[in-house]
Amino acid sequence: MSKHEAFQERISKNRGMTAKRRSIDGVRNFFTYLSAALAVFVLGSIFVFVFQRGAKTLSWDLITEDFHTVKYMVNFTEQEAGDFAVPDDLKEGEYFSTKYGFGVMEGTDAAKDTVILLTRKAEDSPLHSGVNAVAGDTKDKPQDVPTHVNVVKIAYKNQEGETKSAGQVRHHTPQEFVETLDQESTGIVSMNYQSLGGGIRGSIRATLMLIGLTLLISLPIGIFAAIYLHEIAPKNGFTNFIRTSIEMLNGVPSIVFGLMGMAIFFPITAAFGATTPNILLGAITMAVVLLPVTIRQTEEALITVPDKLRMGSLSLGATQTQTIFKVVLPNALPGILTSILLSVSRIIGESAALIYTMGTFVVDNPHITGRATTLAVQIWSVMSGEQPNFELATAISILVLIIVLVLNVSIKLITRQLNKKWKE
Amino acid sequence: MEQTKQEIKSQGRVPLAADGVMFDIRDLNLYYGDFHALKDISMEILSQKVTAFIGPSGCGKSTLLRCLNRMNDLVENCRIEGNIKLGKKDIYDDKAIDVVHLRTEVGMVFQNPNPFPMSIYDNVVYGLRCQGIKDKALLDHVVETSLKQAALWDEVKDDLAKNGTKLSGGQQQRLCIARAIALQPSVILMDEPTSALDPIATGKIEELMESLKENYTIIIVTHSMNQAARISDNTAFFYLGELIEYNETGKVFSNPDNPRTEAYITGRFG
Repeated sequence: MSKHEAFQERISKNRGMTAKRRSIDGVRNFFTYLSAALAVFVLGSIFVFVFQRGAKTLSWDLITEDFHTVKYMVNFTEQEAGDFAVPDDLKEGEYFSTKYGFGVMEGTDAAKDTVILLTRKAEDSPLHSGVNAVAGDTKDKPQDVPTHVNVVKIAYKNQEGETKSAGQVRHHTPQEFVETLDQESTGIVSMNYQSLGGGIRGSIRATLMLIGLTLLISLPIGIFAAIYLHEIAPKNGFTNFIRTSIEMLNGVPSIVFGLMGMAIFFPITAAFGATTPNILLGAITMAVVLLPVTIRQTEEALITVPDKLRMGSLSLGATQTQTIFKVVLPNALPGILTSILLSVSRIIGESAALIYTMGTFVVDNPHITGRATTLAVQIWSVMSGEQPNFELATAISILVLIIVLVLNVSIKLITRQLNKKWKE
Repeated sequence: MEQTKQEIKSQGRVPLAADGVMFDIRDLNLYYGDFHALKDISMEILSQKVTAFIGPSGCGKSTLLRCLNRMNDLVENCRIEGNIKLGKKDIYDDKAIDVVHLRTEVGMVFQNPNPFPMSIYDNVVYGLRCQGIKDKALLDHVVETSLKQAALWDEVKDDLAKNGTKLSGGQQQRLCIARAIALQPSVILMDEPTSALDPIATGKIEELMESLKENYTIIIVTHSMNQAARISDNTAFFYLGELIEYNETGKVFSNPDNPRTEAYITGRFG
């Protein structure tokens, strides 16, 4: 048998699926499937975990409520007890005062203490006719008692004409509270109540302010820098050096940016009247954090604009600047939009760079030059307090996850739309 | 020695009528880095005529075309020696004519139709708007006349708001011609304008060139010998960056002076 024939025989023998090929394929496939499954499992368990722990806390009130409790006191002018019918739709655990026409049930406040929660008021309940009893401009002005507050104390007159109090101060349960009032009182004098707190309204506002301010700073700088790098700068080593440096910024941990922001950018915000860490400082710092991403994404968007459009524009006597702003940028817009969405989800998720620059104290009415927390920092904040509020932290996490998820899906849709446009 | 050089140079020159010269190209050398892409090109391009540049790929014909409206300025490492005169103005002398002005004077149509992703109307008036013209009546007028000259008006007049990229390939190319015409150029450069089109669309563009030649000087780069023979008045044959032969089209195709021209035209190389 010649060498040629021997080789031919070997070739023909090895054509099919041999056991060796099958086993090597099997091992490789095993690892690809395993890794894919692991990734999906991890992602799934994050969602299951936060939803399980936080879903109960998640409610509309969480979003609209302040974080800190606010105390109120009202006096009543019409204090006589009335006669109210018990509503039909009373929930389990909810008690209704037939003398004063309001419902209460057990609830918890931000500090996770059990409170008496005001759930409903009848239309002509005396609770509508309170006047503010707290010193200040609005003293003696009418003040309606809102529902969904913690009833701390109601002072009432008993049959002997003495003033007594009922409510949380006497460690009443909702049932005891309503029974005490309905059996002993002849009229109510005043009421102390406080908001439940534990909400994230302030953090949502601060997050939106931070997003707006950051984009206001980072977008123009990022887009114009990208235009310079891709459209104007000569394609040489120096340009590449600048590009590489910008990309390396991407690898710098954001807490380093936070330190830098605190040290370098604070004087800028001080010029705007800031005396503490503030939202503006956070925005400037985040703009620096986002700069590499914005520049990179915008450059990618500019690359997708076909050269033949630039040529066409220049051949019609347009200047380079006109070409960039009339043809190139409009056609890069979908890509730039993607970079905006990426930036937004990065801002929402960032915490390290903001702890130094915006502080960790949750503020209910944030101001640009004052301290504030974003949702992500509030998670950190409520968990690092003396009494970690795990439920609240996971509830906020759900919101953050949903927002980031929606943003990511939008990015996918826009990218698809973009590709469709160019393939036509 | 000096004399032979002179002879070589004059080889590319064709004894065509001296009047009505649109471009006067003298001793043009062009380098891409170290690569010598155009070698000692001297030629006169006549106005109101169709001049065809032919030659195998890489012979420099498109490069020369792009010198005429300075699109080569955009190429890195491109170095040009010699001079090109448009009328009496040296087009590489910014004091004589600035590049933005030059490109409105010398329009260009590219190999692949490249309408902007905007409406037909906006495509046509793009160049004028870049010059700062906003007069609606003027723009409307230009859109109509340009599209008519480009033989596209009847097909699109009812839907000028349609996106230019939604037209067929042939229509897109005619839109690009209309876009160039709108600036009232003297010259239209065409870089293989029909190579991306089907035969019917090609036929329409060729017809269009025939009618455009009355008002414009047309220079066309083409790979199709038939096309060059059909539509051009004069033909220049390039090979390896040199102008080998330049004469009336009939002469070039029936009785070329240079054996390399004959070999190329008859399809023996290239």
